[in-house]
Amino acid sequence: MTPSAIASVKTKPAGTGAGPGGAPGRRGPGTVTALRGLAGLAGLVAVLEALPHTGVVSADYLPPASEIGRTLWHLLAENAFWTALADTLTGWGLGLAIAVVAGVVAGVVIGSVPVLRAVTASTIEFLRPIPSVALIPVAVLLYGTDLESTLLLVVYASFWQVLVQVLAGTQDVDPVADDTARSYQLGRWGRVRYVLWPTALPYVMTGVRLASAVALVLAITAELVIGSPGLGHEIAVAQNSGAVSRVYALVLVTGLLGVAINLVARAVERRALHWHQSLRREG
Amino acid sequence: MRRRILGLAIAVVTVAGAAGCGSSSAGTSGSSASGSGKTTQVKVGIVPIVDVAPLYLGQKKGFFSSRGIELKMESAQGGAAIIPGVVSGQFQFGFSNTTSLMIAQTKGVPVTSVANGSATTGDTTTDISGVAVKKDSPVKSAKDLAGKTVAVNTLQNIGDTTVREAVRKDGGDPSKVKFVEMPFDQMPAALDGGQVDAAWMGEPALTIAKSQGARVVASPFAETDPKLTLATFFTSTRLTKEDPDLVKKFAEAMAESLAYASAHKDEARQILTTYTKIDGDVLKNLTLPSWPAEYDMASLEKLASLGEQDGLFSDKKPDLKALFQ
Repeated sequence: MTPSAIASVKTKPAGTGAGPGGAPGRRGPGTVTALRGLAGLAGLVAVLEALPHTGVVSADYLPPASEIGRTLWHLLAENAFWTALADTLTGWGLGLAIAVVAGVVAGVVIGSVPVLRAVTASTIEFLRPIPSVALIPVAVLLYGTDLESTLLLVVYASFWQVLVQVLAGTQDVDPVADDTARSYQLGRWGRVRYVLWPTALPYVMTGVRLASAVALVLAITAELVIGSPGLGHEIAVAQNSGAVSRVYALVLVTGLLGVAINLVARAVERRALHWHQSLRREG
Repeated sequence: MRRRILGLAIAVVTVAGAAGCGSSSAGTSGSSASGSGKTTQVKVGIVPIVDVAPLYLGQKKGFFSSRGIELKMESAQGGAAIIPGVVSGQFQFGFSNTTSLMIAQTKGVPVTSVANGSATTGDTTTDISGVAVKKDSPVKSAKDLAGKTVAVNTLQNIGDTTVREAVRKDGGDPSKVKFVEMPFDQMPAALDGGQVDAAWMGEPALTIAKSQGARVVASPFAETDPKLTLATFFTSTRLTKEDPDLVKKFAEAMAESLAYASAHKDEARQILTTYTKIDGDVLKNLTLPSWPAEYDMASLEKLASLGEQDGLFSDKKPDLKALFQ
């Protein structure tokens, strides 16, 4: 690895640091942060409740929060809702798992073979920005409106998130550590296991966290646009039927799902990286 | 090296493509096993709207199962997902409006319509689609739409061609109407907010808009032709050759379902609650389409000529005899 590459990488950890580093640094004020977050949420609910009454928007198109809440309550009693939720989570979870495994394997292989890396760089940069949504006709042609269609979009979108992070992680290996490992006669596998992997892990976790959010967005989008089963499809049916408060209630559920997924991803990240300097508490 | 990667990429794409074809032909071969007495699973790509009520009713009444067809509705978000699904064999049948089928045929997509879907009520005061304006709008009838902005769900399709025809018949200049594209469910709000002067809506959006005070100034379907065939069930041309027996049975079951739905409108209205979320007053008040068992070929010729006039088919002419069997 050239010194310039290392230098450029050394400036990068700010990006990763924000991942593992951000919130968990201060533990004490955690409850305060949580309370503030709740206050923000309560404010949003209050605005939603007030807006339709002010006449800025008609209650026909944006029902007050109380009505959305009531619809949500009824929704929770429906079997169809839970099936849809399970479908969405299946598409999200399976897609994310495939993307993470494929992204990590491909990233470690490409990242540890410099020639491969040089050769694939332009291809990756070409394929990565292609919006997953543009693949919808292909998905329908291959898989109809089943789960596989959702998976195609989810995997495509989240794979790059993981791959790019893993590639950045493999670049970050300390050359001194690598040389030391070599002089101790560690084989290729040993170096991957004891030098490359611990270095790349924070990047991997950042990639997984980003991918888990992207995967949810794409799972819902696929259901909404293609009509594969899940919450997105429920939203589409409610839209077609002009059931406005149901649409908002379902949108609310997807939002909560996003929050939950982010919380879980952060928890997993903390657990996997508890040894890392960005997560160790001082003193 | 680079060439090798490119070769690899091409190989991957080819394999993926072949896998796609493989799975699709597996889908059709599964269905062509429709021997006597055996039950065949048939996937029908539909949009969950009012028009497909007879299909659900027919399923419930056993008109399909008695012919050895086990229906599975694949509800999609529009023709964009249904037509490729049918052509690739993911679905055996699909539901589409007739103008879209004509466009598909003139573009060389191998589809054939095999059973009727829905038709206009023929009543110019209560039809299943209408051009709505705000209560205080200066637009009094179709000809006043010239110079105005009208929302349609899809540009260059059945909506704008029939709206133009309604304007033309009312003595206005159809070339002066400006169309914008927008989903039905957003139209009532857009109309209310003044983003558009008028909106061509289907059910249930039309009933919702009316209940909020909108005024209907034109019923383009009924005004184009009182028997206008709006939508049909179609299949891939390949399936009509590979499994004519299945196609025939599906068409028979569909004809029986349409006849039953026409005779039992209340049941048809009630079945809507099973696959849509329409309820309350909207369910009670919305207008149901007509469900004749046969196409009206004269109205389809009319629709085709409107499409030609508006340049929907480039410079081609749809072959209606081949398309609607």
